[in-house]
Amino acid sequence: MTDDPRESPRAARGRAPDVFRPGGWVPMREFRDDELVDFAVVGTGAGGAPLIARLAESGFSVVGLDAGPYYRPLEDFASDEREQSKLYWLDERIVEGANPIVMGGKNSGKAVGGSTVHFAMVSLRFRPEWFRSRSLLGYGADWPVDWREMWHYYGIAEQALRIAGPVHYPWGPWRPRYPYRAHELNGAAELLARGAEALGMRWTPTPLATVSAPRAHDHGRSPPCVYRGFCRFGCSTNAKQSQLVTFIPRALAAGAEIRDLAMVGRIEVGADGRVSGVHYHREGRWHFQRARHVVVAGYAIETPRLLLASATDRYPNGLANSSGLVGRYLMTQSNQAVFGTMAQEVRWYKGPPSLAVTEHWNYDDHKDFFGGYCWMAQGPLPVEWATIQTSARGLWGQALRDAMEKYNYQVGLKMVGEMLPDERNRVTLAEEKDQYGLRVARIHYSWGANDKALIQHALDQMQMSLEAVGARDLFRQEDDTNHLAGTARMGTDPASSVVNPDGRSWDIPNLWVCDGSVFPTTGGVNPSLTITSLALRMADRIRALAARSEL
Amino acid sequence: MSSRQPPAALLWATLGAVVIGGAGLALRSGRRAARPLPLALHPGRSSTVRAARRLNRAAGVLATSVLADSAVEHYRGSFHNRAMIAPLISGGLSLVVSLHGNADKRAGAHSVRDAVYALALLTGLIGTAFHLYNVGKKPGGFRWENLFYGAPLGAPAALLLSGSTGYLAERVRDTPRGRIPRIAGFPAGRTVAAATALGLLGTVAEAGLLHFRGAFNDPFMFAPVTLPPLSALCMANAALGPRRRQRWLTRALLRLTVCLGLAGVGFHLRGINRQMGGWHNVRQNLLNGPPIPAPPSFSGLALAGLAALGLMEDHPDG
Amino acid sequence: MAERYPGYDVLAKRNTPSWNAKTREVIDARLAVSREPRFFSPGEWRTLWALCDRIVPQPRDRAPVPLPAYVDEKLYTGQLDGYRYAQLPVQGEAWRRGLAALEAEAQSACGAPFTQLDPAQQDALLGRMQRGELTNPAWQGMPCQLFFEHRVLPDITHAYYAHPTAWNEIGFGGPASPRGYARMGLDRRDPWEAPRALPTTHGTASAQGHRSDG
Repeated sequence: MTDDPRESPRAARGRAPDVFRPGGWVPMREFRDDELVDFAVVGTGAGGAPLIARLAESGFSVVGLDAGPYYRPLEDFASDEREQSKLYWLDERIVEGANPIVMGGKNSGKAVGGSTVHFAMVSLRFRPEWFRSRSLLGYGADWPVDWREMWHYYGIAEQALRIAGPVHYPWGPWRPRYPYRAHELNGAAELLARGAEALGMRWTPTPLATVSAPRAHDHGRSPPCVYRGFCRFGCSTNAKQSQLVTFIPRALAAGAEIRDLAMVGRIEVGADGRVSGVHYHREGRWHFQRARHVVVAGYAIETPRLLLASATDRYPNGLANSSGLVGRYLMTQSNQAVFGTMAQEVRWYKGPPSLAVTEHWNYDDHKDFFGGYCWMAQGPLPVEWATIQTSARGLWGQALRDAMEKYNYQVGLKMVGEMLPDERNRVTLAEEKDQYGLRVARIHYSWGANDKALIQHALDQMQMSLEAVGARDLFRQEDDTNHLAGTARMGTDPASSVVNPDGRSWDIPNLWVCDGSVFPTTGGVNPSLTITSLALRMADRIRALAARSEL
Repeated sequence: MSSRQPPAALLWATLGAVVIGGAGLALRSGRRAARPLPLALHPGRSSTVRAARRLNRAAGVLATSVLADSAVEHYRGSFHNRAMIAPLISGGLSLVVSLHGNADKRAGAHSVRDAVYALALLTGLIGTAFHLYNVGKKPGGFRWENLFYGAPLGAPAALLLSGSTGYLAERVRDTPRGRIPRIAGFPAGRTVAAATALGLLGTVAEAGLLHFRGAFNDPFMFAPVTLPPLSALCMANAALGPRRRQRWLTRALLRLTVCLGLAGVGFHLRGINRQMGGWHNVRQNLLNGPPIPAPPSFSGLALAGLAALGLMEDHPDG
Repeated sequence: MAERYPGYDVLAKRNTPSWNAKTREVIDARLAVSREPRFFSPGEWRTLWALCDRIVPQPRDRAPVPLPAYVDEKLYTGQLDGYRYAQLPVQGEAWRRGLAALEAEAQSACGAPFTQLDPAQQDALLGRMQRGELTNPAWQGMPCQLFFEHRVLPDITHAYYAHPTAWNEIGFGGPASPRGYARMGLDRRDPWEAPRALPTTHGTASAQGHRSDG
């Protein structure tokens, strides 16, 4: 038996890795497959992990299953882009449409802790009006939750993750002070700030899920960030507050079980039409875990994939799909950028990639398109930078090497932009099968007119900002997207949504969804904080329902 | 190497200045020793000198803190402006003359010490202006985050305080025989107490700012914003309030504050250990971790406060 | 093209706090990549070498980064990217077809194998591939533009810029754990980073009128 976490499970035999102590273990309660646990949660990322922890802390029996490995960041993470691509969901997915989505490291993680093990830690709140996008702003769909309720859970999430943010946040209603102070700006971030000021816009140090001072968890320590710049390739210091070092240890301490290298392939449905458990592949064979409730938290591709793949005679179109919307209304976010060269050394590889952000165009409605966007400083490492040079500029040969030599003088601004829900953008099942024998996901995406208008506006604005700080040789990255949402949308009407405001599917009362798939709109900010806040809210809702015997 | 290191010449110049300054002091004291005065003729003189030497010690502790702290921080700043060598030179000289003053049992101000202390005061003032400029020109100007990560506004003040404490030491020492020590017409004890109170409050603000930046992640980080303000309060009361024979509470608080400054060094050493890589990553952690030489500035100020108490007890009518 | 960071070597920091054990293990393996093909046939291997030489031409005065070895390794170990364009076959099949098609195009355009064309002819052919102008039946319906953009460019350039030689060339700080960086500001460096770059010698940047590139 090897110790390679990609080969054999680590969370087994009554213990799980202690991510804070090299070689250390923490005790883990285990359940037998034939034990009827209260909740089986599929996925341990931004949505799954907080839910597992809060349910376990509330006294429920919970098993969290993740297809990915259980990493020990202090030991397993190298300072190397290529090696660390192991954190991404690299299994085949087929992409098509007018604007096929780039997957892998742009939006898909495969690890205990999900995509938060490799995310850029940007932790922004939604603009309150976005929860009523249709009623207040005239586009998309309304969320079936009130912004004030979300504001409460945002605060809890920010405390739990010790978000390091500015003393005063320039936009939106009052929020409590971020628990840790913002990080120092690096050169790239300073250029964003000066560029924003030159355009008369406010900017702010980005609220980030990495600590700026030591943190004593209940079960270990996080040292402050060392500004090594490999954030999106795994934090080897544990300064990053991924789910792996926050809610997962809490879940274990509260008596939940985590099963790594456990790919759930099918949700079983009983004769009564309710789900009865999950089939999962682990250590070379299929197992079946019985559960009173199943929560799917696999993010916007794997969640619909699993629901569709679990079709039965009773549910021939997949589970929870009477609306026909499972897999539909897939949204990504525009991630275009403008890059340039400075006379000064920027050396953007130091520190988290996005140390400064401006949300100006999330809050300014003087636009002739719907939706908002923000932009952030950038710090691509060599392989990623080469990818941008080849894909955005078509450079190769000596021209590529010459351009890459200017690495230490580059500056860039990258947007996170709202894309509108369109039911033609969807996830379906291909005929092709993966290594588990499961049908591969097929992802169809095309940008709409509003999406394109927003992108052009953003590119123009970012270009002006860089020109204002004296950047030269500007070029645009016109084709890039990142975070996902939408494929199991929440709503108040079963005909036009998959789950209700509590994340409970309309069709099957013991089948739930707890991840970004439930978003009716995607907003102009990174989704992880909103996903976690929804999960915390969902845990409270489940407790309340249980207390009223409505579970 | 980083973008700019002080040329080796400047570093040698610093060392040379310190050596020459020390030699100059030694030579001068040699001449002075030829005229001893009978102690009996100066009943108040020994207590005055004692107070002055205490103040020299206080100034020396502050100067040491400034020398070490500015060396590390300006190295972190890559000495990108040549003037950043100034606090190392001035702090070093202040330390040397303070050692000299501590050993010097004679009455009368010393011109070299006076000059060095005046230079420290001036350097501290100019340094504060530089630091204000440094923070002000960052994007966002005087926002919290620039106060956290820009040049610390209160740090040059420690040099200013070293210089003023030393200046007060020389004025006290300079008291003519049979007179109560006075500074600018005011009783010396109360003047030093007032200066100490202000200095403590300023240092509390600086430590508080940086501990706020650290989110008070350890409960002990509240110590420098709770104890020294009490000392400052008592010092202010001593400076402005009715005269009192004994100030046992003030003395106790000041002694605790001296200990606090030393304990702070220990806490900061522990803090370095808590950074990633601990002492194995010393080249980064010495720059990014808690500043080891900073806490003793509380000790220096508290020593000045104790000297003020001594003055007030020796000359209760002053 | 002269070096901009002469003397800078990321590998020299191997035993400093900038590298951890896992990084040493990974980079050691990277440098010890098998130089013999395990996925490609000898003929495909030769074509791939010629192709890599054009996509990332390397200076003669330096040990070359064995780019074909890394492409071969990726395909042999089945390392995927996490997504595949619907019009492209799986990566191994795409590469075999693409290399065969490149040879067929070389024959039909210049009457010689791709490996025997001079660099200008090779570059011209690759430019046409990039623009989607190659239509030889050997492509078997695989769009040459997609093959170039989503297989040729990323697989080869990633291999180059994942190598310490390339990091030295561009002055990248390299591995950084447990020691990261203290000085993050504009025009500020830590002593363990690459020094300030020497001015560029090639035409492009100076023609743009930069005050200085180093």
